[in-house]
Amino acid sequence: MRAEHGDDATVVAGGTFVGIMVNQRLLAPPAFLSLRDVPGLDHVRANGELRLGAMTTHRAVELSSAVREGWPALAATFGVVASARVRNQATVGGVLADADHASDPPSMLLALGARAVARSVRGEREIPIEDLIVDFYSTSLEPDELLVEVRVPGGAHRAVYRKFRSRSHEDRPAVGVAACRRGDELRVVVGAVAGRPQWFPDLCAVASDPAEVAHAYAEAIDPISDVSGSSGYRRRVIAVEVRRALEELA
Amino acid sequence: MTDPRVTGAARYAEDLEADGMLHARIVRSPYPHARVVAVDVSAVPAGCAVLVPEDVRDLGRYGIQIRDQSVLAERARHVGDPVAAVAAESPRVAEEAAAAVVVDYEELPAALDVLDAVRPEAPLVHDGHELASTGAAYFGLRPQQGTNVCHHFRIRDGDAEAALREADVVVEQTFTVAGAQHAPMEPHACLARWKSGRLEVLTGTQTPFNLREELAGIFGLEPEQVRVVCRPMGGSFGAKTFLRTEAIAAALARKAGRPVKLVLPRTEEWVTLNRHPAVVRVELGARADGTLTAARIECWADTGAYADSGPGVVQKMGFAAPGPYRIPNVAVDAYCVYTNLPPNGAFRGYGQMQSTWARERAIDLLADRLGLDPLELRLKNVLREGDRYCTGETMHDVHYAECLERAAAAIGWHEDRRGKGLSVILKGMQTPSRAAVAVEDNGDGTYVVRCATTEMGQGAIHAITLLAAELLGVEPERVSFPAPDTDTAPYDTRTTSSRSTYMMARALEEAVRDLRANGGARGYGEVANAGGLDPETGAGVASTHWHQAASGAEVRVDEETGKLEVLRLHAAVYAGRVVNRPAAELQNEGSMIMGLGSALFEEVVYRDGQVVNPNFSDYAIPSAADLPVQISHELLEAEGAEIHGLGETALPPVPPAIGNAVAALGLELFDLPMTPERVCEAIERRVGVRA
Repeated sequence: MRAEHGDDATVVAGGTFVGIMVNQRLLAPPAFLSLRDVPGLDHVRANGELRLGAMTTHRAVELSSAVREGWPALAATFGVVASARVRNQATVGGVLADADHASDPPSMLLALGARAVARSVRGEREIPIEDLIVDFYSTSLEPDELLVEVRVPGGAHRAVYRKFRSRSHEDRPAVGVAACRRGDELRVVVGAVAGRPQWFPDLCAVASDPAEVAHAYAEAIDPISDVSGSSGYRRRVIAVEVRRALEELA
Repeated sequence: MTDPRVTGAARYAEDLEADGMLHARIVRSPYPHARVVAVDVSAVPAGCAVLVPEDVRDLGRYGIQIRDQSVLAERARHVGDPVAAVAAESPRVAEEAAAAVVVDYEELPAALDVLDAVRPEAPLVHDGHELASTGAAYFGLRPQQGTNVCHHFRIRDGDAEAALREADVVVEQTFTVAGAQHAPMEPHACLARWKSGRLEVLTGTQTPFNLREELAGIFGLEPEQVRVVCRPMGGSFGAKTFLRTEAIAAALARKAGRPVKLVLPRTEEWVTLNRHPAVVRVELGARADGTLTAARIECWADTGAYADSGPGVVQKMGFAAPGPYRIPNVAVDAYCVYTNLPPNGAFRGYGQMQSTWARERAIDLLADRLGLDPLELRLKNVLREGDRYCTGETMHDVHYAECLERAAAAIGWHEDRRGKGLSVILKGMQTPSRAAVAVEDNGDGTYVVRCATTEMGQGAIHAITLLAAELLGVEPERVSFPAPDTDTAPYDTRTTSSRSTYMMARALEEAVRDLRANGGARGYGEVANAGGLDPETGAGVASTHWHQAASGAEVRVDEETGKLEVLRLHAAVYAGRVVNRPAAELQNEGSMIMGLGSALFEEVVYRDGQVVNPNFSDYAIPSAADLPVQISHELLEAEGAEIHGLGETALPPVPPAIGNAVAALGLELFDLPMTPERVCEAIERRVGVRA
């Protein structure tokens, strides 16, 4: 159907994001393609690696004992999104495919080294999160592709997510910091500050002192300004929250 | 008790259906100031009713204090100003039809900032100020013709200039308060229909009789030819006062010859009515021992493109600005200023919060300068029984000191003052005011109360039913109180300003007495409070009685990010006599949480005249998780005292209590909301921590 309608049909999963876009008249699609009744897209499978179906809700990830056991920081990240009511509706596939910069899970998934699985009539491919989200509301998915699953590597790791809200607890992040250490590899990802999650492998590779890394991230990022905070203020918070994340990780 | 609001049985205006009903949608200006050159409706689908400026040219202008509004604008004065409207068989078709209306505009220079708008060279939002001097909500205004100032209220008591010159210490500071959205759960909704020349409007409104008067004026009818039937409101907080969307629905219904329902999409709430943003400059003079000698206060309130109740809001902002203190020399200038922003009007507390924020913060600045305990400074100067206020009124039933002491005790003020702040307010009630009520005896031991007090979630139905049952000596179940209908309810001014319970209690006593005395089926009671202020000097009666409250807050600040956490928040509110304790407590809690929103998060953000955050994703209101670790309140009563309204009193003291608590950490904030970013700026400015 997507191949048939092309861009005219907007894919809807939980509808929390598309609903906002339609209400704000930023989106007025002639057709919606709902995934609600498509079977086999709402699984949580942990077998070495974690596989989350695109229609799995935030709430299901947050409460899954398998996720809490093997990927506790990921469960926690899904648990700080908006309110429980929204989390019961919002989906794993949706939060990645809408590529909304002010989201929590994408940064954490990127830090964990997750890949998205895109399927079309042509077949299936895996896309690392850092290649999936390319800019504000923009992904590398082809028009005929559907995001069907997210795969998160298993194995020993330590991860932490820090969500900084400048306003209400139910607000979206002004700055989100995800950090993950797996063996010698450290990944620090900062979300909600630019068109895509900000990850600087070079800065992470030479990482030593948390404050130094934090300072380097604050320098490297050119943050956006919006109702949640100015660019300068976000830069200040990045320096604080990256350091705190690394201190928690240590 | 099965409350229909809980079971879902309540029928709000949004739920109404009528045979043959059409659904309306408004076409709005995308420019802050522009002349409508042409409206092309040729692409509108057949079968839709379309209303263009030409259709309403024969209709009267409206505005409860200044007649500055027409049903559709031929000169759009703000982004979102209605310039056309459509009605169709379904909301969906109406939306498409509205999008098919093509409007050609000629842009005009716009005034987008309140301080810019008072400059002589500022573009004029209106060419003149036509006073609504025959209207029920009118009071004496002082418009400044040829400027954007539509009301300049003054208080001149003593000689503030001289006293400031002679004062040992003077503090002077300018404060700002952001605009806010009322954010009621239910948006504006109404249904209008014409029945043999009579207009019938079913709507969620706090002001049925004011609305009837406005609609009659617009359509050239006698008031009795207009019937306004109130629906319960899913919240209002001042948003549903006076005329909002009803005239457009009525004009569409007239043109279509069918009933028309109009429900605003959420985002349009932000261009319909907000709270006045304001700039307030305060100068306080005192002797070295802390005795206040002078206050000079200027308020510039941005009323947006239309005055609405702005002059009233500004007058209240002005006459309450000096606060509950003995100050022998007072000068107040409060300006209601037009800009090309969406209109601002009544908002829980009616201007009170804006001047309270400034004055109570300034009192703490003064305490700091004098090296005095802010509580001691307040107690030294606070009004006491029999004192004279700057309007010339003698104050009775005075409890400011008691409120302050309770608030201080609740946050452990005397143990440790670090991160703790206090504030105290006096707040006027709508004056002059009148209220009327009829009590009907059904002859079977049941009674009907008819009055124009409206239900918006504040519990008015319950409170009035309880009062009536008590007076009639029957169980509350035997008293019914149908939704106000201007055809059957006696005339009343309005359900605003926390006056309903107070006024209705007295009118009910009269009505029951009348019913007993005449032995008939209907008793009638009416009370009126005289008063009003001279806008030139501020002398007169500002308020029949005064609402009194104090608040205490304790905060913690993350000094790296500026994030503010309220640990404790308390309000002590003088109630006189409590009618319905659970409802009164909920009013306190709701007011405090709304105050918390204004203190920390809420701000309508404008860019080039556009509201950039007209949705709950970008406009943050407090959630349950944002409540202080400890939130508490108390209602103070006095033997034999009058009932005092409680709907708004606990809101205005909250922001300055929090602001003063932050100041006690050495962080001086002058602007609301106190965002983490502003806290960081205060951290950069800090010179030293207060003792």
